[in-house]
Amino acid sequence: MNEVFDVAIIGAGPAGMQAANTAAENGCSVILIEGYAQAGGQYFMRPLGGQNVPPLGDFPILLNALVWGIFRDDDPDWRVALFGLNQPKEIRARNLILANGAFDSPIAFSGWSLPGVMTCGAALTLLKAQRLALGTRALVTGTGPLLLSVATHLIEAGVEVKAICEANRLLPRGISHAFTALGQQQRMKEGAGYLKTILQAGTPYKTGWSILEARGTEQVEEASISKVDSNGRPSGSPQKLMVDLVVSGYGLTPNTGLARMIGCDLEYRSDRGGWVPVRSGEMESSIAGVYVVGDGAGIGGAENSQLEGQVAGVAASVRAGKLSAESAATQIRQINPKLKKQQKFGAMLGDLFSPQAGLISLAKDDTLLCRCEEVTLGEVKQAVLNGAKTLGEVKRLTRCGMGNCQGRMCERSVSAAIVEALASELTDENVGYYKVRPPLHPIPQSVLAE
Amino acid sequence: MKRIENVQRGASLKIFVDGKAVEAFVGETVAAALFAAGVSFFRLSHKHKQPRSLYCGMGVCYECLVTVNGVHAQRACVTLVEDGMKVETCKEVEV
Repeated sequence: MNEVFDVAIIGAGPAGMQAANTAAENGCSVILIEGYAQAGGQYFMRPLGGQNVPPLGDFPILLNALVWGIFRDDDPDWRVALFGLNQPKEIRARNLILANGAFDSPIAFSGWSLPGVMTCGAALTLLKAQRLALGTRALVTGTGPLLLSVATHLIEAGVEVKAICEANRLLPRGISHAFTALGQQQRMKEGAGYLKTILQAGTPYKTGWSILEARGTEQVEEASISKVDSNGRPSGSPQKLMVDLVVSGYGLTPNTGLARMIGCDLEYRSDRGGWVPVRSGEMESSIAGVYVVGDGAGIGGAENSQLEGQVAGVAASVRAGKLSAESAATQIRQINPKLKKQQKFGAMLGDLFSPQAGLISLAKDDTLLCRCEEVTLGEVKQAVLNGAKTLGEVKRLTRCGMGNCQGRMCERSVSAAIVEALASELTDENVGYYKVRPPLHPIPQSVLAE
Repeated sequence: MKRIENVQRGASLKIFVDGKAVEAFVGETVAAALFAAGVSFFRLSHKHKQPRSLYCGMGVCYECLVTVNGVHAQRACVTLVEDGMKVETCKEVEV
């Protein structure tokens, strides 16, 4: 493709799809790039054979196209490097909208790498899109409303859910948020439906509890749970549950790999899932012409993502010279009140359900924090004793974060472990984040050589 | 793990898991087909040879790697099954 697009949108979930539609409607030449086989992201999950993805405009959509690098050099245009069967090697664009979504925040506990331990997102995909009954007896552990959703789907699939452990205590903070929640009738109705199924099944919903450990040889066979204090530290005697499935859902982490790679400034926002790009009100990052939207810019949910996508689509159209500043201001004025409402709801969820810092105490010295390079908590502590104080330094000493996942699975735990080891001196913010260099995903060397 | 019954699925097809023929359906991921076939652990880790399987289920953790049609280290959670596909788990050798 020799064309230089006005806007390339990376990620075809709710945010990216809306951004692409809006930019195209405003006259931009647009290309939408998606790493999966279908558009829709994690939110618009298609059941086998079914379709429930909102329509997309008439512009090119690349599916199964992994973006492994974004380059600019001295050229004003961005070069987006792709890997995928029958995909162009790169496309060029004047503006970028990154809409890379989020993944379940990985919390390390003893046994978390055993088969049969999976994230909420994984369980929901297998249940809802793949229509698979996972396991026979399950423990659902973590924080947030997704626990209720996954438990309900498990129960409906015939799985016995032994317990739901919600790590946060929801009262009395929950009461102060009641009015915000009441403004979200559809969501409240959904939640009430989940609770009904869970109560009917007799599943205990234990707030202020968490998994301590999963055990088994080739597969989870049992788990222990206990009360945790308000900071997430185990505070009671363990209870044993015989389960063959552990679903772990401690909130979501924004996927900021591409924003990091091209050098967008980040800030630490524990209420929005951790490190997020610094943005203007128009969703523009610290780099002009690069917009970051949706859960990949801070957790806010699908409706918030669509609205942010719309704002970025408008703003990018102005930059591309396809829309006047006045028309843009009119459009954005209409979006902003809706966005404010979503932000308020997102702030409530962030306040009620952020994973607590003390959850790092679920990991023992021989627990893996980095699953790829198999680096344990003990090794990270040793690196700190040897003087490491940032994620970058621990990475250089231990190789944690250098494997296939590029640190996505261990960054949170390693950061917490460093803070824990040097409690009086540091916060997650001081510890920093893993720098990301291309390739963002493992790709064949032959592709890099070209 | 088994398929939920009375669900409309894509056309039936056949894949080979470690040489054994297994039924799967159009639209299924390799991971789902492996689970439905009773295979719950997919590979051993490099260093400590510990069993690993699907964790994130959305292509970001690279834990569910299997060999597909001779190409190694493919993510079972985002790879869709195709008729005649040969899937090898890696319980003996390193991935």
